[in-house]
Amino acid sequence: MSGESTDRATGGLPSMFERYKIPLGLVVLVVALRPLITSEMVLGYNAIASKMLIMMLFVAGFNLLFGYTGLLSFGHAMFLGFGIYIPAILVLNGAWVLPAGGNITFLVGVILALAAVAVYGYLLGTLIVGMGEIYFALLTLAFSQAIYFIVLRNPGELTGGSNGLTQGTLPDFVEQTRGEIAIEAFGLSLDWYWAVAVVFLLGMLALWQIVRSPFGRSLVAVSENEQLARAMGVDTTSYKIWSVTFSGVFSALAGVLLMIQNSGAAIENLSVFTSGDTVLMAVLGGVNYFFGPVVGAFSWLFVEDFLTNFELWQFPLSEVTFVTVDLSDILVYWQFLLGALFVVVVLTAPEEGIWGYIRSVASWLRKRMQQVRA
Amino acid sequence: MSHANETDEVGHAKSTDRGHDQEPSPIEPAVAPSSAVLGVHEMTRTFGEVLAVDTLSLGIEAGELRAVIGPNGAGKTTLFNCIMGALNPTEGSVYLNGSEITGDAEEQRPHKGMARSFQSNQLFADQTVLENIRLVVQTARQGAFSMDLFRSHYSVGRERAIEIADDVGLTADLDAEAKNLPHGEQRRLGIAMALATDPDVLLLDEPTSGMSPAATAETASLIKEVRDDRGLTVVLIEHDMDVVLSISDRITVLNRGEVIATDSPDAIQGNQAVQDAYLGGMREEI
Repeated sequence: MSGESTDRATGGLPSMFERYKIPLGLVVLVVALRPLITSEMVLGYNAIASKMLIMMLFVAGFNLLFGYTGLLSFGHAMFLGFGIYIPAILVLNGAWVLPAGGNITFLVGVILALAAVAVYGYLLGTLIVGMGEIYFALLTLAFSQAIYFIVLRNPGELTGGSNGLTQGTLPDFVEQTRGEIAIEAFGLSLDWYWAVAVVFLLGMLALWQIVRSPFGRSLVAVSENEQLARAMGVDTTSYKIWSVTFSGVFSALAGVLLMIQNSGAAIENLSVFTSGDTVLMAVLGGVNYFFGPVVGAFSWLFVEDFLTNFELWQFPLSEVTFVTVDLSDILVYWQFLLGALFVVVVLTAPEEGIWGYIRSVASWLRKRMQQVRA
Repeated sequence: MSHANETDEVGHAKSTDRGHDQEPSPIEPAVAPSSAVLGVHEMTRTFGEVLAVDTLSLGIEAGELRAVIGPNGAGKTTLFNCIMGALNPTEGSVYLNGSEITGDAEEQRPHKGMARSFQSNQLFADQTVLENIRLVVQTARQGAFSMDLFRSHYSVGRERAIEIADDVGLTADLDAEAKNLPHGEQRRLGIAMALATDPDVLLLDEPTSGMSPAATAETASLIKEVRDDRGLTVVLIEHDMDVVLSISDRITVLNRGEVIATDSPDAIQGNQAVQDAYLGGMREEI
C-alpha cells in the first residue's frame, strides 16, 4: 500500500482496483443504501431509498453535461418530464393498436420517451450549444419553461394540467399494496427498490462507460479547454451536441422510474425549481467526480427528509432516553441549513463538493497512517 | 541580457519611430503560395479600424525551418491564428500542400497535417501530462469526432503518447497534473501535444518564452531535432534572437502587418530596412 505510487512505473496502467472501483462502489451503494437509510433509527420508510436512487441517476445524467462537458443546463427538468409524461399518457389513453394500461403499451411508451428525448436533445443541442455558456443556460431554462407551460395548459386533456396524472398511469406489472410497490413479472414478485436498483445500476454503468471511453475523454477535453481542444482537432460542437443528447436520455430514464415511484405524473417535476435543485445537488456533491451527483442527491434528500421528520432529538435512541431536545423550531429552516452548506461548499471548493471533501480527508488520513507506520 | 535590451529597443521603435522612409517594397515570396507546403496569399486581417495583417504573402518550403520575427504588435500571432483557422482572414487565402484551406473549420486543420503551439500555455490543466498528450493522439487517430463508446480510453494512444513524451523529455512527469508543471515544462508539453497530431507543418508561437537561458537552448535544439528527425516543416515565432539566428533556415520579418524582408539569417542581419524597423541598435551585439 505504502509503495503504491513509487512502485508503479510512470505512465503505467492504474491497478485493477483503481480502474473498477466505480462499478464496485455502485454495487455497494445499492446493497447498503436501503438497510441503512430505512432503518427505524434513520428515516424508517421504504420509499425514500428508491427515490434516492432515482434522483441520483437523474443528477448523474445531468452531470454528464455539466461536470464532464462544462455546459450548465438550467432546464434539466424538461428531460425528466419527457420520461414521466410520455409513458404515463400512453398507458392512460392507449393509442392506435396499443390498449390502455397494457405492459406492452408501457414499454413502447418508455422506448418512445427515450427516443423522443434523444431526438429533441440532439436538435436542441444543435440549436444552442454554439451560443456560449450563459446563453446555453438561459436557453435551456427558456425551453424547459415553454414545455412546462404547454403541459400546464393540458392540451387535449392529455397532461392533466396542474393536477398532473394521478390515476391509471401504471402498467399491469406494477402491483400496489398498502403504498408498497412491487413488480410482478414472469410469475415472480420483485420489490420496487430492487427493480429500481437494477435500472439504476444499468444506467449508472452505462454513464460510467461513456465517461471512461475515448468519447467521454473528449468531452472532458472540451470542458477543460475548448480553445485548445479545437486547435488540436476536436470537433467541440459535435461532442457538445451528443453530450446534451446522452444527458437527456439518462435523465428521462430517471423520469420513467419517478413516474412509477409516484404512481403518476406531477407537474412539479417539470418546474424550474426541479431544474434548480438539480444544479444545486450536483454542485453540493461535487461536479468533478462521478460520485459527486450521487452524494449530492443523497445529502439533499436525506437532509430534507431527516430534518423535517426529526423534531425531537433523543439520546440514546432507546427506551431510556437521557437527553431530549426539541428541534422543531430550528428544523423548519432545513432549506436554510442546506443553503448554508451549499454556500460553504461553493466558496471553499466549487467543483469539489462534499465528495471532494470526503476524498481529501480520506487521502490525508491515508498519508497520516503511512507516516505513523513508517 | 540581450533579451532585455531587445525588448526595450522594440518598445522604443514601436512607439516613436515609423522607421524607414522608403516605400515598403513588396517582397516576393521565394515560393509561390500555391506550390509551397504552406502558402499565404495576400492575407489581410483587420480588427475594427486596426490593420493587424496587411496583404501579406508567404511561401514556406517543405522541410524548411522558418522564423517569423517582428516587434510586438507586428501581426505575428494574428498571422498564426489566421493560418490555423482560429481567426478568419478578412481577405486572402491559405494553402496547405497546394490546396486551399482558407474556409476550413479550425478543428479540421490538424487532421490535414498542421498543428500549433500557443503563445501562452494552453493545456488541459487538471489532466496528467500523459492524458494531455494521449487526448491529442486519440483525436489524431479517430478524427475530429468519433462515437467511440465501448472501450476504455486506456486502450487508445497510450503507448504513442508515452513515446512522444519521451521525445520531448517529459517521461519523468507523465503522471503529474499539467497545472503543477514548471513553466518551461508546460511549454514543452505544448510542443509535445502539437507533435501528437503527427503534423507535416508545425507552427510554434514563442516556444521559449519565459524560459531560462539553459532551457531556451535545450528547446531550440529540441525543435531542430524534431524537424530533422521527422522531416517537418516548422514555422516559428520567436523573440530570442540567439534561437532565431542559430536554428532557422530563413527569417521573415514582419512590421505593422507587412513582410519587410525574407532572407537567410546572415542576410537579415545586414538588411538595412530590418535594422531600422526592428533590430535597431542591436547590430553590435549580434
